[in-house]
Parts: sequence; structure tokens; C-alpha cells
Amino acid sequence: MPKNNRSFRLGVAGPVGTGKSSLIAMLCRELASELQLGVITNDIYTDEDARLLRSAGVLDPERIRAVETGACPHTAIRDDVTPNLIAVEDLERDFAPLDVVLVESGGDNLTATFSPALVDAQIFVLDVAGGGDVARKGGPGIARADLLVVNKTDLAPYVGVDVPQMVADAEAARGGKPVLALSRTDADSVLRLKEWVLEMTAVVRSGSHTPVDPGPMAPHSHVGDDGELITHTHAHAH
Amino acid sequence: MGSPELVALMLADARLPTGGHTQSAGLEPAVRAGLGADGARLADVASYAADRLRTIVRVEAATAVVARRLTLDGELVEQAEAAWAARTPSQALRAASRRQGRAYLRLASRVWPATTEFLKADAEIARPVVVGVVAAVTGLSAEQTARLIGYDDAQTVVAASLKLLPVDPADAAGWLLKLHPDIEELVTAVSRITTLAEIPAYGAPLVDVFAQAHAVERMRLFHA
Ligand SMILES: Nc1nc2c(ncn2[C@@H]2O[C@H](COP(=O)(O)OP(=O)(O)OP(=O)(O)O)[C@@H](O)[C@H]2O)c(=O)[nH]1
Ligand SMILES: [Mg+2]
Repeated sequence: MPKNNRSFRLGVAGPVGTGKSSLIAMLCRELASELQLGVITNDIYTDEDARLLRSAGVLDPERIRAVETGACPHTAIRDDVTPNLIAVEDLERDFAPLDVVLVESGGDNLTATFSPALVDAQIFVLDVAGGGDVARKGGPGIARADLLVVNKTDLAPYVGVDVPQMVADAEAARGGKPVLALSRTDADSVLRLKEWVLEMTAVVRSGSHTPVDPGPMAPHSHVGDDGELITHTHAHAH
Repeated sequence: MGSPELVALMLADARLPTGGHTQSAGLEPAVRAGLGADGARLADVASYAADRLRTIVRVEAATAVVARRLTLDGELVEQAEAAWAARTPSQALRAASRRQGRAYLRLASRVWPATTEFLKADAEIARPVVVGVVAAVTGLSAEQTARLIGYDDAQTVVAASLKLLPVDPADAAGWLLKLHPDIEELVTAVSRITTLAEIPAYGAPLVDVFAQAHAVERMRLFHA
């Protein structure tokens, strides 16, 4: 694969049903006139996500490809990214030059994040319906994905979630990394998502971006011998 | 270069990143077609693996053995791929094997770069041909090569059964052990083959039919 055909590979992860496919469809709709896009879905059992995206009519169906995960969505984006890498490279070859390839992970649990061997940056998607305390519970994706999306804010009144509080909890867990409260019914939030992707695309293109690995463990804190609060991110036994 | 025995263990290890978790060696469509009778006849799984070892896996193992030979002799390994394709009537099975071959090659070109002297790193070449080339450049014997192909297929079937049927993992390991004689029989049958013409042309038509159906199936866990 010649280096110049390499796209910005952007992962979209998060628990089942939080709105990953919808977010990708939204990005295709918003960006297809400005950027050359491709999409890879990781389906756990069906090709439902690829079909949903193809039928949304937001992108040439040929540019949307599904990867089987052998019922291991976690493995497919982390321990053995081979089938995904091949799918990405094939898309980049078949539709060269692509600007961005969006890779949707199979909906998994809070610990599933992309390996930096597969994506240059990743978005982790939560939704308000999963509960206002999810952001506070943390996890590698919540703490260290390049962007955390708190999705479906339009549902907040119905599920009793305080969105500003949830965003504040998330920001506290992320040490300054961006958090975006998103709803497809809130045009401003959609615009902010679009801008983030455009900015990230520019940063990755400029070559100044080093992929960050959210890693297997969230930052955590405990009280040290001298009573001081120690926060760290490395994995070790306490 | 490292110990050939350790290389064989690496290649047989499902943790090697070659997309092995996406494969069921045709077990998924076979289960869909009734194999295992929804859990009432679990021993079908071991019989299925044994049937494969006697038929299509022999073709694959012989192909790998000959690809190894061709590589060592400085001949074009693509000839082994053509011989394999001529003996593999299902287009779906050929496509699945070439996809896997590509995953293997992608890894091998990084880990055993000598592989790329014989095959392009992004070639879509049947998996047994790639394994044969890797075997040649890492010093595996013909027996080790054939055993690897046989073991990997049986283990793929058995491991996939845990996801597809109500199987106790210890029972599954027991099936694999009982398949050892079948694997060794395959090794004996193919490891002395040196020419393309000697590659057998066994077929398993139902496996072909299942594979064709699976390729267009909407609900599936495994690629093949
Ligand atoms: N109210 C509301 N619903 C949304 C929003 N975004 C997505 N949804 C709905 O949430 C449901 C799940 O959305 P998907 O995009 O399929 O979620 P996903 O994360 O891709 O799901 P999996 O791939 O199955 O894990 C669908 O019914 C969407 O219509 C939103 O902004 N507001
Ligand atoms: Mg989805």
C-alpha cells in the first residue's frame, strides 16, 4: 500500500445501541460533499449495521463494508485487527484517495477500545438512556478516547438525566479531553461534531498526530501512605 | 531463524493475529443445516472434523507440502495455488481461503520477511500456499507443515463448536485429542508428496454447498 493513499482512520466505539451507526450516518451526511469517505462496520451477528448505513443513502453503498467478528467484537478491534486492517486497506485501494475511513466497532461493553494499530483516533459514544452515572463510572474509552460523545440528549428529560452534570462528570474523568453532548435533533451539536472531525482530519494529515491508546484500564486514584490522593493510569496491582 | 518446532507452535496458536477468530471451518453453515441436531448429537462435531481431515483438508495439506517444496526448489509457488484451485470447486471456499491467506501473508511479511521473496505481501493466495512458503523459509519439515494444516482445521472446527452449540469445553478438547490419529493419518498420506500432479482431488460436496449458502447468509457469526 503506497503511503500517500493512507486515510485518516477514525474509530467509533461504545456500548450497544448508543448511536454509533447513527453518528456515522450523520457524519457521512455532513461531510460527504467535503471529504472522500469510507465506512467499515463490525457486525456481531448480522450485517445489519452495514445495511442500515447503505440504505440511509448517505454514501455510495460500495464504500460501506462489513467485517465479521466471529462473535468477538473486542478481539476484532484490539487483539487481532487483521480482518479490519485488510478491509480498511482494500477500501483505501479501491477508492483512492480517501480522506477518512470510519470504523464502527461492534457494540460491546465499556472496556472495548480500538488498538492504535487500527485507528488514528477514536470516538467513544455513550447515551443518556444508559444512565447518568455511566460517565462517572469511567473506563478506558470514557477516560481516554479522543472524543467522548454523550448522545441522545433529547431523551434526557424522559430518563431523568441531568446532561450538564453528566458532561461535567465525563470531563472530570478525562483530564481536559473533549466531551460533546450530542443529539440528532440539536443542529448546533451536530455542527460541533462535524467541526471536531474536520479539525482532527487536518491534524492527522499534518503528520503531527500520535495515536493515543486508551489502554485496558481507566485512570484511577487511591489515597497514598501520607494521605495524599494519587491518580495514575498505568496498570498495576494494589 | 529460530526453532522450527517453536515456529510450528506459533502458527498453530489461535492467538497469532491472522483473523482466526472469524473462521469456523464450515461448521457454522453445517450446524445451520442440522449438524449436531440443536445439541442432541454433539459428537457430530468430531465426525465433521474427521470427514474434513479425510477430504478437503488433505487437498490443503498436500498443497502446503508442495508449496513448501516449490519454494525450497526456487520454483513458482503460484503453480501450487492453481493446482489447489482446480481441486476446490466452491468459489466461496476459494475466496475464504484466499482471504485467510492474505491475513497470514500480511503477518508473515512482517515477522518472516523472507516470505516476500516468494509472494507479494498483499497477494490473495490460498492459505495453504502461504503456509507452505512460511514453512519453507522457517525450516519446517513437510511433516510439520502437513500436521499444522490438519491440526489447525480440526481445532478451528472444535473451537467454533463452543460458540455454535451447547458444548462443554473439556468435551471439545477431548474430541480434539481423539482426532490425533486422523491428523497423523493425513500427515502420512501427504508429507511425501513432491509434485503438483500428486496433490489429491478429494471432495466434500456438502461442505461446498454449505459454504456457497453461507457466503450470502445475512445472519452469521463466522466469515466461513
Ligand atoms: N432520541 C434519539 N435517538 C437516537 C439518536 N441517535 C440514535 N438514536 C437511536 O438509537 C438507536 C440505536 O442507534 P444505532 O445508531 O443503531 O446505535 P449503535 O450504537 O450503532 O447500535 P449497535 O451497532 O447495535 O451497537 C436507534 O433507534 C436510533 O434511531 C438521538 O440523537 N436521539
Ligand atoms: Mg451500529
